[in-house]
Amino acid sequence: MLEIAKTSESTSPFSSLRLTQNFGETLGVKKVLTTVPVGRPSKDRFFRTHSSPSWVFPTWILENKASGETYLVSAEVASALGDQVRAVELYAAIDRQNNPFLIPIPLPGPNGVRNRWHESLAQAVERAKSVWIRISANKDLGGYDIFEATAKLPDPVWPDITMDELLEVAFKGRVITSLDHPIVQERLGKI
Amino acid sequence: MNQLSDFTDGVFLIDFEFRPENGREGNTPEPVCLVVKDFLSGVTSRYWKDDIHSRSSAPFSVGRNAICVAYFASAEMDCFLKLGWQLPENVLDLYVEFRCLTNGTTPPNGAGLLGALLYFGLPTIAAQHKDAMRDLVLRGGPWNPHEQLDILDYCGTDVSALEMLLPAMLPTLDLPRALMRGRYMKAVSHMHTTGTPIDTQMQVEIATYWDQIQDALIEEIDASYGVFEGRTFKTKNWADYLQKEGIAWPRLATGRLELTDETFKQMARIHPKVAPIRELRSALSEMRLSNITVGDDGRNRCLLSPFASKTGRNQPSNSRFIFGPSVWLRGLIKPQEGFCLVYIDYSQQEFGIAAALSGDEKMMEAYRSGDPYLAFAIQAGAVPQGATKKSHKVEREQFKACVLAVQYGMGEISLAQRINQPVARARQLLALHRQTYRTFWAWSDATQDEAILNGKLWTTFGWEIRVKGQVNARSLRNFPMQGNGAEMLRIACIFLTEAGIRVCAPVHDAVLIELPLVGLDEGIVKAQGLMRLASSAVLGDFELGSDAKIICYPDRYMDERGQVMWDTVMGLIQKIKGK
Repeated sequence: MLEIAKTSESTSPFSSLRLTQNFGETLGVKKVLTTVPVGRPSKDRFFRTHSSPSWVFPTWILENKASGETYLVSAEVASALGDQVRAVELYAAIDRQNNPFLIPIPLPGPNGVRNRWHESLAQAVERAKSVWIRISANKDLGGYDIFEATAKLPDPVWPDITMDELLEVAFKGRVITSLDHPIVQERLGKI
Repeated sequence: MNQLSDFTDGVFLIDFEFRPENGREGNTPEPVCLVVKDFLSGVTSRYWKDDIHSRSSAPFSVGRNAICVAYFASAEMDCFLKLGWQLPENVLDLYVEFRCLTNGTTPPNGAGLLGALLYFGLPTIAAQHKDAMRDLVLRGGPWNPHEQLDILDYCGTDVSALEMLLPAMLPTLDLPRALMRGRYMKAVSHMHTTGTPIDTQMQVEIATYWDQIQDALIEEIDASYGVFEGRTFKTKNWADYLQKEGIAWPRLATGRLELTDETFKQMARIHPKVAPIRELRSALSEMRLSNITVGDDGRNRCLLSPFASKTGRNQPSNSRFIFGPSVWLRGLIKPQEGFCLVYIDYSQQEFGIAAALSGDEKMMEAYRSGDPYLAFAIQAGAVPQGATKKSHKVEREQFKACVLAVQYGMGEISLAQRINQPVARARQLLALHRQTYRTFWAWSDATQDEAILNGKLWTTFGWEIRVKGQVNARSLRNFPMQGNGAEMLRIACIFLTEAGIRVCAPVHDAVLIELPLVGLDEGIVKAQGLMRLASSAVLGDFELGSDAKIICYPDRYMDERGQVMWDTVMGLIQKIKGK
């Protein structure tokens, strides 16, 4: 009957000796984002898009179907390449495993009209700002079917970075700002 | 009290020589002699048997301003209790501190007193001489005057060892927490002294008929398998049986069948038809009835080996401790007339610790719900709000298996086997755990980083593990749950024993206590309150609940996993006796 007899049942006599378990707090270890894919999500992948306008980036992209690579191109280069590039809006998206990616949605043409596939994709991306969805191409309809998760799933946790940083990772080594870039030279038939 | 000079009434280095009463393992000790050295004054006092048995208190100060130093202090405290002396207020156990200092590494000469001396480069007495003197003590009296002097001299060498070891270890000691651990060694001693009541008549009966029981068990169970030849399990026959039944059995890299009990356990879940053979193997291999050390008073006592495991948990001998062998043998535990035994275990202790220490609010909420497994399923959106254990039994079982899989560091394949579902389902469940408890996972990742980058982890009260060489990430991540679970049970044992509650034994995350039938309910409420207090001491005000299972005379303790086997053995005994 030592200290416990003198202690109320609501406080521990050892509380002053307690050490914290804040492992890693002083180490500053954090996950480094190294890959951010660009493209439409596969049909089995539920995703959300960021609801803030600052996480949408209008730009031109050049797609190299053969290598599966997407390049970000400057306005000067885009005008030189004409219809080989696409004017798009890049939407920041994230899947259930917390992996961020970018979805490009082509902007309407000069007549202000989008094709049905692009319009359908834009609708899906808008919907994904508030609910978890996945999309699947429906060739008969010429658009995407949208499937919403019925369970009350938690909101995504976005990585602690800016849209600029996300773009930097997504297009690392694939930004074209000069007409001398080998890809541009190739597309212009100069090499 | 942060340094030795604070103990103004003295720093006493002590060592007893003792043997089990009547030379019988399982009895409390019979102190033979005591040597005490006042570390500050340098005065040594030697007491032979009669000198100590005639005293009503220790021959040195045991109050608040004195400290008692020993190596494996629970043995010394056992002697104190046997002699009816008041236990020292402050106990510093250099064994425990040496274990803490070297935990996770392998001291070249072990963690005994000689090993600790050699670790610090200090001189030692010859191990051979130590063994010879120990044998002399264990032989029992009467000891002639020459032998008495030899034993006292030998006892004195251990005290001299403490005198060298204390200054060597002093710079490494975290004294306030060391004293807390020393306080647990007093609790251990109370538990050693109390012991667990055993139905010795039944123990003798089982032992008497054990040979016939084994044969009858094999005959009864193996009839459907045909794998035993005599009392030997034949691998070849087992392979034939598996082939006949079309069961794919795990194999070793060498191609031989994997025959560990864990494999049988896992496979019995997938193929229930192999469960009886697993039970039989387990019963035959773990049955060491004669090794369970029971004293003259019918109580199981054995060294609890505190702080022996890396997590700081007790590691009593599997064969000597009644909770060590097959679970069905726990049926031998039986309260004495007028008493009840109460088995109190923390509810979902590891989940609660993980929730509180990681600070994951959702996990804490799940724990507080009373059914964390179902709460997890609801939080993950797999079952609707308002789902119950009854309405969503299957989902709850899968989410429970997932929680346990995370705790054990199981991968998707093992989890899939456990829940008997495709690997994709197991992968899904594990992903849901990560998505639902993000804060916990971030903390778990950080725990691993800390261990690898800084080379050690620690519990809330300073039990440390050092990380060297090849690391086992799964163990490192699990260390905070296991290590702090051990802290919690230690504090619970301190609170319970100091409150005068008779603790028979600590069992992983539970205790077995003994209460008189009169006032039983109040006793249980008090004990559970103290266990709750112990949990909040570790978790910083987050409390864990506990479940109490009550066994009153003349009933016996029974683990539900062992009920069938116990009933089978009892039936066989009746049959054999009736022949």
